Amino acid sequence: MQDDKKRYVIPGDVITTGPYRPDQNVTLDGNRIIATVIGISEISDDGVRVIPLTGMYIPKSSDLVIGKVVSHTSLSWEVDINSCYVGILPAADVFGRDFSAHADELTSKLDKGDLIAARIVNFDRTRDPLITIADRELGKIESGTLIKISPSKVPRLIGKRGSMIQTVEMATHAVITIGQNGLIVVSCDDSNGLLKAIKAIRMIEEEAHMANLTDKVKEMLESR
Amino acid sequence: MGGRESTLVLLDKNGIRCDGRKIDEPRKIMIKAGVLKNADGSAYIEFGDNKIIAGVFGPRDVHPKHLSNTDTGILRCRYHMSPFSVTERKNPAPSRREIEISKVIKEALLPSLMLEKFPRTVVDVFIEVLQADGGSRCAAIDAASVALADAGIPMRDMVCACAAGKVADTIVLDVNNEEDQAGQADMPVGYMPNLNKVTLLQLDGVLTRDEYKKCIDTAIGGCKLVYQIQKKALTDKFFENGGNQ
Amino acid sequence: MTSSVLDQLKRKEIVDLLDQGKRIDGRAFDQSRPLSIETGVIPKANGSARVRLGDTEIVTGIKIQPDKPFPDLGDKGIFICTAEILPLAHPDAEPGPPGEDVIELARVVDRGIRESGMIDMSKLVLEKDKSVIGIFADNSVVDHDGNLFDACSYATTAAILSCKIPKWEIKNAVPVLVEDHESSPPITTIPVSITMGRIGEHILVDPNAEEWECIDARITITTNSDGNICALQKGGKNGFTVDQLSKCADIAISAATKIRERLKQTKG
Repeated sequence: MQDDKKRYVIPGDVITTGPYRPDQNVTLDGNRIIATVIGISEISDDGVRVIPLTGMYIPKSSDLVIGKVVSHTSLSWEVDINSCYVGILPAADVFGRDFSAHADELTSKLDKGDLIAARIVNFDRTRDPLITIADRELGKIESGTLIKISPSKVPRLIGKRGSMIQTVEMATHAVITIGQNGLIVVSCDDSNGLLKAIKAIRMIEEEAHMANLTDKVKEMLESR
Repeated sequence: MGGRESTLVLLDKNGIRCDGRKIDEPRKIMIKAGVLKNADGSAYIEFGDNKIIAGVFGPRDVHPKHLSNTDTGILRCRYHMSPFSVTERKNPAPSRREIEISKVIKEALLPSLMLEKFPRTVVDVFIEVLQADGGSRCAAIDAASVALADAGIPMRDMVCACAAGKVADTIVLDVNNEEDQAGQADMPVGYMPNLNKVTLLQLDGVLTRDEYKKCIDTAIGGCKLVYQIQKKALTDKFFENGGNQ
Repeated sequence: MTSSVLDQLKRKEIVDLLDQGKRIDGRAFDQSRPLSIETGVIPKANGSARVRLGDTEIVTGIKIQPDKPFPDLGDKGIFICTAEILPLAHPDAEPGPPGEDVIELARVVDRGIRESGMIDMSKLVLEKDKSVIGIFADNSVVDHDGNLFDACSYATTAAILSCKIPKWEIKNAVPVLVEDHESSPPITTIPVSITMGRIGEHILVDPNAEEWECIDARITITTNSDGNICALQKGGKNGFTVDQLSKCADIAISAATKIRERLKQTKG
């Protein structure tokens, strides 16, 4: 409603006092609701939260993520998913239920440095998150360009019901796979389209909080 | 330390200190957030002639594993002085002084961090003093707190730090190097401004009970000034148009 | 925190581009990254420099103090160069005593400067066999994005060129500082190191961190103002052919001239 329902905050800033429900990225001190990260505070009927402008990816069940294989044991691969927790991909997920630790060699399927599109199966902070690539749209990424953006900007990149990213894909003929963890793979047969798509992604990341972003992006995509 | 003969006037009859400041005036302070490419969060501070850089990594995996805590993330802190940071070249190996300062800085920052949200991880804070000038541990905390916010670590509050001291029988704000050596007391204070809690407190020197109270109040006043500069550093980096209308 | 294992897509991209004659960041094969040099950044030190080579950043300080000469070098001053990769420079950098990589780095930078004869050490004697001037150059790596050899070398060289040497007089067999009598260092030549990496058949000057992960071998060649080679260090898991070594020398001599001009401007 009014502009004072949204404010820039840093950690420790008192957003408001009173009988509000504390939501994401805030904490309670007595009856004061305090921001815990740098971002934009929002007061609504549902509660008080801060939309972060910083911070790393915290795994959530059923999130699509792009990961990088960093090592393996005899039973699973360890996958860097750009978070403080390492993703675990069990060998059985790839080899099937008949997987045998003696017979099947993990590196024959996935090796150090390989990129994968995966889904978080489950996560609670007491254990490393379990991931899977057993789905049609998941698996090893064979080609494309990998870009990293701040995970807090991913929702803006996707847009309402995917509108923003579809705009970019249609204008550039690129195929863009967005991981919730801020890792993105862009594939395009045309090198100009590829460069434009990457430029658009960087622009959205940098100006995520600006008002007329959609128009600016469309303008850039249409220009030569 | 030092040993040069000098006719240093610590406080003249007009209440002006040896470097031209008034008794409640801090040295010049500048903080810049986000100065490093690799670190998750970083900040650079100039506090008087102190030049200090802080870098934060984390939360991240703990190695060796036996240090990790299943209930909460842990904090590690390293305060280190470059060999060229002081008048007589310093051996690069950590001295006992640096080890103690690393510990008190860690304990000054810890209450502000919500590490219980990240069990089995570590947040590493690395502070490097490129040039030292008295009050470096306070300046280090000021930079480290900004670097932690820059890294997106959830925090209950910022931590700001500033020292007060006793020079020529007078309580003054922000003791510089000469005042530290020739003065009567030096009290660094670390403070969380919104929660109103002191998280760093040390003393070198002798104070009466009244002086002790006045010194803490003076230092906290200095902390609040530094807090505005920390805010500005983060606002400049993250918010366009310098923040809220 | 993304691990520093280079992903396969990036590795493939780097190699594919090289085969097309291009580098991942658009540079020519014999081109260094943008270089910025600032001196006097640590006013309390006798000399200092802050160098950015691409995203690699070094802060170097020079401390000068009287010292005892080495036993068989009583008529020469002392020059010692150290390096430390600060733990804030890279997620994999750990605090603690320097490992073999960092020790190699410090010694290569040291040799490049020492063997060139950059500083006329015979002019740094206070009392022969008893007291000489010691120059300590300490490199602090603040941000690590590849090729620390060249970045540290340029920072140390710039810090030396712009430093001021205090004056000491021997009084009662002890060196005593004479205030406000500083002088410029006795410089004879300006050494410039050029580090090259080999990826397949391609030789690349100043590899960045991603290219560094792909190189088969690397070599650092330091030349002085006459274009003569005064120090060499080959590293990496693989080797060079003799032809490649010849080519590297030509590249090093030619690439060094522009950088030498930049370093000349820092003379105090």
